[in-house]
Amino acid sequence: MLVALSHIRKGIFFLKYGIVIFLSSRDETELTRYNKYVIDIDESKLIAQVAQGNEQAFLEIYDRYVHRVHGLTLHILGDSMLAEEVTQDTFLKLWSRARQYLAERGAFLPWLLTMARHVALDRLRLEKRRPALSDSNDPEDAWQVLPDHQTTSDESRWRSMYFAVQSLHPDQRQVIELAYYQGLSQTEIAEVLGWPLGTVKTRLRAAMEKLRENWTEK
Amino acid sequence: MTYDEHTPFIENLPAYAIGALDAGDIPALEAHLKTCASCRTELAGYRIVSESMLTAIPPKQPSAALRKRLQNRLPSAQKTSRPRLVWSMNPSMIGLAAMALLLIFNIFSFVQIQSLQRQQTQTTKQTENNQTILALLSYPGIQTLPINAENITGSLLLDKDRNMAALIVWNLPQLQVNQTYQAWLIDPQGNRTSAAVFHPGSNEPFTSISIISPTNLSNFTGIGVTIEPAGGSNQPTGLRIFKVDY
Repeated sequence: MLVALSHIRKGIFFLKYGIVIFLSSRDETELTRYNKYVIDIDESKLIAQVAQGNEQAFLEIYDRYVHRVHGLTLHILGDSMLAEEVTQDTFLKLWSRARQYLAERGAFLPWLLTMARHVALDRLRLEKRRPALSDSNDPEDAWQVLPDHQTTSDESRWRSMYFAVQSLHPDQRQVIELAYYQGLSQTEIAEVLGWPLGTVKTRLRAAMEKLRENWTEK
Repeated sequence: MTYDEHTPFIENLPAYAIGALDAGDIPALEAHLKTCASCRTELAGYRIVSESMLTAIPPKQPSAALRKRLQNRLPSAQKTSRPRLVWSMNPSMIGLAAMALLLIFNIFSFVQIQSLQRQQTQTTKQTENNQTILALLSYPGIQTLPINAENITGSLLLDKDRNMAALIVWNLPQLQVNQTYQAWLIDPQGNRTSAAVFHPGSNEPFTSISIISPTNLSNFTGIGVTIEPAGGSNQPTGLRIFKVDY
């Protein structure tokens, strides 16, 4: 029985692999679309299973996205132990709220990361601490750890957004960091940096405009 | 709506999109957005940037322990660990256990006290006995008679003036729990009157018993000892150990 099951699994694998080879021989863009389609279908199923209380599916989602969630929480909190706690809280929140996710309203990863950002910012306010603004991670090294199955077109756009943020003028980047990753309002940023409120608003607007241009160009 | 009227709202859109707009400016902007399609479109563009900034952070793998910790928080792990947790943490269980221990301790203490009281009573009785016997021995007109039975020796001390007697018996065998020795005063017609119920001494090789006669000791002609059921009998029913005539 087990041997038969193993043969069936092998058969499915080679059939799938064969389709991919066939598609790749035709056109790389189509292959990318196919991969994305397979991932999305798989992901939607997993999230639906998580919503029904399937722990295995939950752990698969965890394995797939924990490095993204933890990257964000670590960036916001600047402390690995605290970031792990917040990462755990985020996934526990996902476990209890998976049914609230609606695929038609957007992709899953940004939804998950929005939740992680809120949890991290809440924790940051609770701890009343402000970590260093600079990002100590080497961007090239960090991006190398991304698993192959996520190298979709979205992924390359997200990478380019990272580099777009890094390429902002330091003053603009500082405002974005404080606003988005530290949860400060414009007035609070003006107080922290000792700048006039108007300057903060101008730099924030300019930074966002640049990022939007960069995004729409891709 | 003219461009000038739009300007303050348009300028606030980027900050609003990333959650940095001051709280006081939010209601006016949100009211404007309800009526202005072009601002909503503009905001949608910034929202996409905001969303993409979430994913623009380099990934970082947490420690492997985090996965285990998370697994332990899932229902299946909770189910397996809960009974042990409840057993070890439930305050009512701890309270019950403490009460049970206290009860056991109290019962143990009660039994110990009872046993000590019994020992004290016996010791007091024995001391009184010994004092009586010493007093008898030192009295000038005391009559001493030997006790001779199989493997048993001793003396009977008689003080007929005071109607007192004492038995000092050596090698008296230990009895079963439901048995006792009983001393009898024997009159010339052979009638027996109970004089004492006693057990052999556990620490000494001899047993000493003092007897106070209810009537004149001269009315009796002898003293005998038998084995009787615990508590004693009205008349001798068991094995006779010895008899001394005087």
